[in-house]
Amino acid sequence: MKTIIYTCPYVPAEWIAAHGLHAGRVLLDGVDPGFSAARAEGVCPYVRSFIGEVINNRGADGAVVTTVCDQMRRAFDIIVRNCDLPAFLMNVPSTWQTLAAQKLYVDELKRLGGFLIGLGGKAPSKDTLAETMLAYDDARTSIRSAREHLSAKQFAEAIAAGGSLKGEAFGDGSSDSGHPQAALEAATLRVPLAIVGGPLMKPDFDLLDMIEQLGGRVVLDATETGERGMCPKFDRRRLREDPLLELADAYFAGIPDASRRPNSELYRWLKRELAGRAVRGIIFRRYVWCDLWHAELGRLKEWCNLPVLDIDSAGDNETDRPRISNRIRAFMEMLQ
Amino acid sequence: MTDAPERITLEEWDVQYEKLRRAGMRQPQYGGPLSRHVEDGDHRLRKLRYDNSAAALRLWNFLLTEEDRLREARSAGKKIVGTMKDLGTVPVMAYCFDNVTAFYPDGAWWIPCVMELSDGLLEVADSLGIDESFCPVRAMLGAFVTGAHFPIPDMLICSVGATCDDFSAIAQRLNGLGHPIFWWEMPHRRCPEQDEPAVILPGGIAAPKCQVEFVKSELERVKAALEELAGERLDEEKLSAGISQANRVRQYLAELRYLAFTAEPCPIPALEMLIAEMLAIHFCSDRRETIAVLGELLEEVRGRVNAGLGVLDADAARIFWVNPVADLQVMNLLEDCGGRVCGTEYLFTHALDMIPQDVPPLEALARCALADPMAGSSIDRAERICADVRRFGAEAVLISRIPGASHCALEGQVISEIVAETLDVPVLEIEVPPVTDSMSPTLRTRIEALVETVRARRRATQGIRSDR
Amino acid sequence: MICAGIDAGSRTIKVVLIDTDSLEIVGKGLTDQGVEQDKLASGLFKKVLKSSGATEKDVAATVATGYGRNAVGIADTTITEITCHAVGVHRLMPTARTVIDIGGQDSKLVRLDGSGKVRDFAMNDRCAAGTGRFLEVTAVRLGVELDTLGKLAAGSRRPAAISSMCVVFAETEITGLLACGTGREDIVAGVQAAIASRIVAMAGRNIEPPIVFTGGVAMVSGMAAALQTALGQTVTVAPQPQMTGALGAAILAADRNR
Repeated sequence: MKTIIYTCPYVPAEWIAAHGLHAGRVLLDGVDPGFSAARAEGVCPYVRSFIGEVINNRGADGAVVTTVCDQMRRAFDIIVRNCDLPAFLMNVPSTWQTLAAQKLYVDELKRLGGFLIGLGGKAPSKDTLAETMLAYDDARTSIRSAREHLSAKQFAEAIAAGGSLKGEAFGDGSSDSGHPQAALEAATLRVPLAIVGGPLMKPDFDLLDMIEQLGGRVVLDATETGERGMCPKFDRRRLREDPLLELADAYFAGIPDASRRPNSELYRWLKRELAGRAVRGIIFRRYVWCDLWHAELGRLKEWCNLPVLDIDSAGDNETDRPRISNRIRAFMEMLQ
Repeated sequence: MTDAPERITLEEWDVQYEKLRRAGMRQPQYGGPLSRHVEDGDHRLRKLRYDNSAAALRLWNFLLTEEDRLREARSAGKKIVGTMKDLGTVPVMAYCFDNVTAFYPDGAWWIPCVMELSDGLLEVADSLGIDESFCPVRAMLGAFVTGAHFPIPDMLICSVGATCDDFSAIAQRLNGLGHPIFWWEMPHRRCPEQDEPAVILPGGIAAPKCQVEFVKSELERVKAALEELAGERLDEEKLSAGISQANRVRQYLAELRYLAFTAEPCPIPALEMLIAEMLAIHFCSDRRETIAVLGELLEEVRGRVNAGLGVLDADAARIFWVNPVADLQVMNLLEDCGGRVCGTEYLFTHALDMIPQDVPPLEALARCALADPMAGSSIDRAERICADVRRFGAEAVLISRIPGASHCALEGQVISEIVAETLDVPVLEIEVPPVTDSMSPTLRTRIEALVETVRARRRATQGIRSDR
Repeated sequence: MICAGIDAGSRTIKVVLIDTDSLEIVGKGLTDQGVEQDKLASGLFKKVLKSSGATEKDVAATVATGYGRNAVGIADTTITEITCHAVGVHRLMPTARTVIDIGGQDSKLVRLDGSGKVRDFAMNDRCAAGTGRFLEVTAVRLGVELDTLGKLAAGSRRPAAISSMCVVFAETEITGLLACGTGREDIVAGVQAAIASRIVAMAGRNIEPPIVFTGGVAMVSGMAAALQTALGQTVTVAPQPQMTGALGAAILAADRNR
């Protein structure tokens, strides 16, 4: 089966899978220091890492890039100039409150369908799409319900693996993959925290373990690669009536992000989730040169009545780790 | 026409002003000696060099009195609209209303330069979490907070989508501070797919018809919002008339650009050309006066060209300039180093191309908006730059990076690669912060090296020719 | 009994000894940081003990703080400098609500509640342009002593604009300014303003007074004034600003010993 790689949460895995292709949402490995196809200065490390992943990926048959951030949009230009892998730039509107923006998103999904067919995919029937959506919906439900039985890192890994429909493995709290009971009880004594920000890369998942080791417990992963980037549950009646419309509606309207204009839904979602999970502090994770998230830091601090710890990363884990560890430790000393 | 065109300092302008006044120079209401603006805090003016014509004086005075016009408009009960990010489309529409004055809040990015950081706008932005890792347009945020540089608009309209993240993020921060913003979507312009109906946009790029239709529908929303604010309907006739006036501005600029970039010797300095080109996107809060100011400037330049007069040495290296500079002094620096500007791409070529007048007016505006170089790929932008480099006969390309701008790093890479691949000309990238004093030796070295390279290449070419 | 606080900073190591009951300072000392941090810290610790007339047996507990805290083998435990500075400042100036600490390689802004507990903090440990390192580089480049910078800056009529976010590039800018004939006093004032503006960026709006300035950079004259200008509020330099972290560590050691 051909594999289509992407990272953006606004690319529905179901749509790719329904075309008979493998949807490979990539968990990036980090920036290769030797990578030179894209500049380092002024470029978000996540974007650089993505460009490197696409250019060097030997197993992919196509790549989908989206316009949610300016640098990703420019990354597409670098990719098409530097590699032969077929690539598709999907226009994800920033505005979301108008019918025109919603229709544009649907039209872009249809255009993506054309790209997938060009790579050997098959236009899905209504039933095929609906069945695929149900399978993914079940997997996501399973992952969500496993959250309390998993460490934050395991939960993040489960979400990352969600595109491969492995969610059912996490449904049982007594599973080996979850925390042992004693560890779970100990976890409840730790300070409940949220991590908020854009996407994490694979080495960043260690940050989640670090937080736990230092006395915190991430009860809300509001990063793009975490719960915030997960499509909400489908309306099953609408799914049967018009699966594509329901797919578009769930993804386009259901994933809050800093890039939306206005991005009020992000704050509405955060308000609900932070209160619902009794969060006591926020770890704000951002990449240097990511303007969209950086600009939210000041607003988030003014908006919420919780302490906010800013963790900026240049993508260099070796130098970042001691800095980040020191900051988190001070944050935990403050909260404990 | 001024007898002997030259670049002069602010002190020299005081002398020149008296000379012109005694000679009967007619001045508009906002006229007066240039140095009076220093008293308002515009300290940078002391360090710039200016064209010595009455037309240039009018241009500068027009630029530096925009705040007065906006406050007068507010006093006169006019509605004030801030048109953000969109460079040159919504203002065309807004100026069709009798009781609306539109301006360009993003233009605040030059305040830290003109006031040599004495205004404190960047510090305000800092305190809001928008630090120097963002583009200098963050000064706009400070200007909204202090209210010292323009009246708070009755309405803010901002294009988002395929724009730049800096501005989008800063505008969202402004929105979070309680300033309502009317957001409209600019899709990423793409190539039409096979068998997909296409439209040729101003500037010659093809785009899918459905994208033009989408932008048109967004502009319909903007129009409706403006109509509600103004309490006045905007029909096709009025909009067409507004487009005609905008095209007069563009027509003047097209001729000015052609003369400024191709005539020998260079008839007008790069700095005045930069200010003149910028009028296309915002009309400096008075469209009628914009036309008059540009008309006078064009007349001066035509006269100089006809007389074979110029402000620079005839052998100046011909440089194509990419992106606007945050520090105006750098335009002087290029000329001080022996260069001249022969072609510009300040990220708003779509505001310089003529708006089609053979299609319904809203469709015409949509086509123009979609031709925005920022909305498309960097590859499109680079190709247009290459075409203009050829058209104006530039010998080198200088890409001026905007510090912190989200698009500059990768875009600069693509543009410099494509220019190098396509044209046999040297490419230099520099970064220009709002005040470059501390960097001027390094900037000077780089620009001088570019000029030396151009001259060396000329000599080599002449050598080859003479060998034949 | 006494308790000890050791602040192993990037440039210096500080030791403070306090009486466990009264929390009064009974001894203190400072030495330059070096490669063998543990050896330097224990050497200073012993020296301060000796000068205070105490022995190791008198020490009930020791807390190490600062970026090199984990290398201090004699410490019973470690606590971050954020918490220690907060405690130290609260002890010296109980009404303080904001602490600005600029050290050799990082800077911090700590918000305190009425009891001296940390409410929130922000930290710059990535960019040297907001730290004492910037002043050191400036002093070297201008060929002046660090402690004369304030006097120089006081003579500035027009602080130079320093644009760069990076100390390495800022050094080039200083070279450029010198080449343009900019006076040393304007360059120093420009550098101090640049450091202050980075603190403002870190602080955000609504900084609650009283604001107390600690860390080694607080002793550089002119910096407090630059901060005051940038923040638009009175900034008070803590008594013995270099020692607040070690003092806080000693108080926390005493707390733990109770």
